[in-house]
Amino acid sequence: MSTQKEEPETPATVDEGVDVDEIESLIGDHVLEREDHLNAPGFVIRADAVQDVLGALKDRAGYDHLSCVTAEEHEDRFESIYHLRKYDDPTDELSIIVPTSRDEPVSESAESVFRTADWHEREAYDLVGVQYDDHPNLERILLPDTWVGHPLGRDYNQEKPQIVTFDENRNPLEEDHRGDGEGDTMFLNIGPHHPATHGVLHVETVLDGEQVADVNPDIGYLHRCEEQMAQNGTYRHQIMPYPDRWDYGPGGVLNEWAYARAAEDLADIEVPEYAQVLRTFSAELCRIACHMLALGTFCLDIYGDFTAIFMYAMRDREVVQNLIEDLTGQRMMLNYLRLGGVVWDVPEPREEYFENVRDFLDELPERLDEYHDLITSNEIFQARTVDTGYIDPETAKDYGVTGPVARGSGVDYDVRRDDPYGYYEELDWDVVTDDGGDNYSRLLVRMREVEQSARIIEQCVDLLEDWPEDERNIQANVPRTLKPEAGKEVYKTVEGAKGELGVYIRADGTDKPGRFKIRSPCFSNLSALKEMSTGEYIPDLVATLGSLDVILGEVDR
Amino acid sequence: MIGVLKSMATTMKHALDGNTFTVEYPEETPEVSARFRGIHKFSQERCIWCRQCENVCPNDTIQIVTDKQRNGEQYNLHVGQCIYCRLCEEVCPVDAILLTENFEFTGDTKHDLVFNKEQLKNVPWYKDIDPLASREPDRGAWIGEGEGEVDYQ
Amino acid sequence: MTETPLPDTIADLLGVGGFFGEALSMLLAAALVGTIMLTMTAFAGPWAKRKLTASFTDRISVNRIGPWGLGTIIVDAVRLLSKELIIPEGADRPAYDFAPIVLAGSALFAFAVIPMGNGIQLADPEVGLVFVFAMASIASLGLLMGGYASNNKFSLLGGLRAVAQNIAYEIPLVLTAASVVLFTGTLQMSEIVAIQQSTTLATIAGIRIPAWFAFVNPFAFVLFVVANLAEVGRNPFDTPEAPTEIVAGYQTEYSSAYFVLFYLGEFVHIFLGGAIIATLFLGGPAGPFLPGFVWFTIKIWAVYIFTQWCRSAIPRVRIDQLIGIGWKGMLVLSFANLVLTAAILGVTGL
Repeated sequence: MSTQKEEPETPATVDEGVDVDEIESLIGDHVLEREDHLNAPGFVIRADAVQDVLGALKDRAGYDHLSCVTAEEHEDRFESIYHLRKYDDPTDELSIIVPTSRDEPVSESAESVFRTADWHEREAYDLVGVQYDDHPNLERILLPDTWVGHPLGRDYNQEKPQIVTFDENRNPLEEDHRGDGEGDTMFLNIGPHHPATHGVLHVETVLDGEQVADVNPDIGYLHRCEEQMAQNGTYRHQIMPYPDRWDYGPGGVLNEWAYARAAEDLADIEVPEYAQVLRTFSAELCRIACHMLALGTFCLDIYGDFTAIFMYAMRDREVVQNLIEDLTGQRMMLNYLRLGGVVWDVPEPREEYFENVRDFLDELPERLDEYHDLITSNEIFQARTVDTGYIDPETAKDYGVTGPVARGSGVDYDVRRDDPYGYYEELDWDVVTDDGGDNYSRLLVRMREVEQSARIIEQCVDLLEDWPEDERNIQANVPRTLKPEAGKEVYKTVEGAKGELGVYIRADGTDKPGRFKIRSPCFSNLSALKEMSTGEYIPDLVATLGSLDVILGEVDR
Repeated sequence: MIGVLKSMATTMKHALDGNTFTVEYPEETPEVSARFRGIHKFSQERCIWCRQCENVCPNDTIQIVTDKQRNGEQYNLHVGQCIYCRLCEEVCPVDAILLTENFEFTGDTKHDLVFNKEQLKNVPWYKDIDPLASREPDRGAWIGEGEGEVDYQ
Repeated sequence: MTETPLPDTIADLLGVGGFFGEALSMLLAAALVGTIMLTMTAFAGPWAKRKLTASFTDRISVNRIGPWGLGTIIVDAVRLLSKELIIPEGADRPAYDFAPIVLAGSALFAFAVIPMGNGIQLADPEVGLVFVFAMASIASLGLLMGGYASNNKFSLLGGLRAVAQNIAYEIPLVLTAASVVLFTGTLQMSEIVAIQQSTTLATIAGIRIPAWFAFVNPFAFVLFVVANLAEVGRNPFDTPEAPTEIVAGYQTEYSSAYFVLFYLGEFVHIFLGGAIIATLFLGGPAGPFLPGFVWFTIKIWAVYIFTQWCRSAIPRVRIDQLIGIGWKGMLVLSFANLVLTAAILGVTGL
């Protein structure tokens, strides 16, 4: 360990606590030049020094969270950007930029340092075309294996349609020889058509009897080119309806806030305080709805279809969605935030709305007690979920796992507290963690988070009610078109319902983003599935998948 | 065993108290909130053909055709493709296009769901509710001047 | 009691005799019993199951077609039978076709010896109880055939699980039934029912409590009910068909008429389990005021509602835990139950 540690939590310095000289001294000989992103200092390094640099930063400077890997193609080069953070302090951020030439876009893979880079680099290869040396399995991840071209690269012809064949892709009636080599294992395709895969997820499993020998999630069935669509929309208005569609849990405001936070930083817009309270309020309502869905579908996997617990969770979620509908106009695809604030104040008559919210909050402890009676104290349920799907905190950090999955393994990481935004800092609430690391703890974490969200909502409602009438500013004055300066890059995250949801934007001087990258929590969480379910049974695999709470819209974007 | 028996008791309690959460549609029409975003209603009388709605629509759902004197000829809205984000209503300076609360519209084919001016005009209110009365977006916000520089469009 | 109560009644009613008369009356009797059971299943499957699930989940379920939604039964029948019968390529043909027939048929066969009250009992051999269990076990053969012959890995897993589960729970089931035989001293179904009704357990406030075996040995009753849940494949033991894990288990590749047979066969099995419980523990068709057949129906429907209740409330046990409970838990408990029964009988002198 280096004897000189940089200061951990004081955001007072210009670089938000990052001691740039410290970093320079660690990796100085690999650095080609310095860039500066809006949120973090950037270091441009050589393409073959990736593992050394990242390894040094991880082991000696404590940057143990590889939040996102963005790849983009410029006119003269390809670039892979590794956004590094610390689990202990996410405001301490670094960007490591790896340029490669256009004719030979090969750089070293970071997979040996951070396991999460595996899937992120596959996506970078798939969509942009950067190749990574030393990568264990550099195959396409979101697009079909037989796709030709890299859609987010500059040379790709967007107009030309493509018909893709499934040549090596599983003819379901054909003899499958994949598991044959091992002797007594059986290869089984779970999904994409399956009652329990939470969307169109294809899990290729190799089974030894009923035990799982190997798991390989195959994603990309719900890829809707969200990043490209955002790159084709203006910052000011047109991008905002799309984040709703990432985590359709319904985590509407949570996703929109990720985009709003990044874009407001980029264009330097300040949000009035009243709007911040409204944002916090609606975000926590969405979080409760998401967790109710997670609870319901997790229990669905364990109980079987349409049993009581799933329907009770849906019923509670309905109540929350009614509240959201009164506030924003839609139950799921809200389009509630705008850059600079929110679009509407609380509906008139305000007292009636607040009364509805308070009624819901009063009923909530009773409903949660009922869930405890119904599921968590049930011995059979405990036998199914305790000690299954275990992941230890170190592996979780290596895979970039965040959100209730990480907190269920004891990793105390919550962006709302560690990198505050909205009105969270002024309110009184706790971050919930549990040390179990198994499916049961994740469920408990989610249920307790619902209680904490209820606390936040109650405080927000009190604030909103007493806010003086002439200071109720819901939107800042933002020009009709926003054209941030070319070359500005920003990466900001929020705490979504599933974990750390991040948006990276690079402005190119026009009113549309030059590059828009979404860091999806479910993507990283799902990559840890293999660690969690190898050696366990199929029912445990299904339960683990349920407790990871993947929403495919977010995984595949 | 106690936990199992408690679960069973909880479900039996729900069965015996007879409360149902179902809305028996179509006999009971569901309550939608005042801000619900349903199908659009267009008023040619108010429209000034400024094309702001066409500009702001995120997925090019609105198509406007004007002649050389900028008189409006066609206003086509593909309600099947629309994502009901309400940006068109928000930017319209004269409230010519509104989203009503009506969600009960159907079409047999995709092409049936492209509505032209006349069809958009004839969209009925849902339960006679005029949505404008319940929604007041902060118009001052989007027309704001930014900081200093004049905003040429 | 004659060997074949119901056919004899029918023969007397029709006034026929001789070989052909007997054969005819047997066929008619079998058709009657079969129709009764299938009608009950038709009510239970499409209609009662939905209504019960809905009441547990705060919903109103089928209520549009017909009074109280009973028209759903006809609609479902038409819908299921009009679907395309898809046979997967590579399915092992005769086994694939026989599996649903075996499943549905075995349960119906077992109903031949169940005393349903008012003389409705097809046959009354002296080894009736053994016959019932033998027939009920043939069902697992049907499940295995369906699972293996479908050429689908999910079905295979489901079929194997079904066999493992059935074998594991068959023994506790039969042992617990054997404790009933200790009490009654006979395997004949009608005798079992008669002995339960005729022996008086106690007289409370002038009301005579008959010695239904559930009152004599409640432990055996609970044990049998749990083992029965495993035999018919209901939560918490519905692993062969676990929809969220292996799609539909052994039923995955079946559609249209075969699916109907599987679906109804499963419900006939649930009713069979209920009928065995009623006969062995609840005195069969015995009960005050109402005719025996009505009481019998009430009892088997009570067991059915109990299985639906378990389905809504209890999670599914994992396959290895299930086998563990079967071989380690239930087996030991059923042996203990035998000893307990002997003790009870010795003490009370029943």
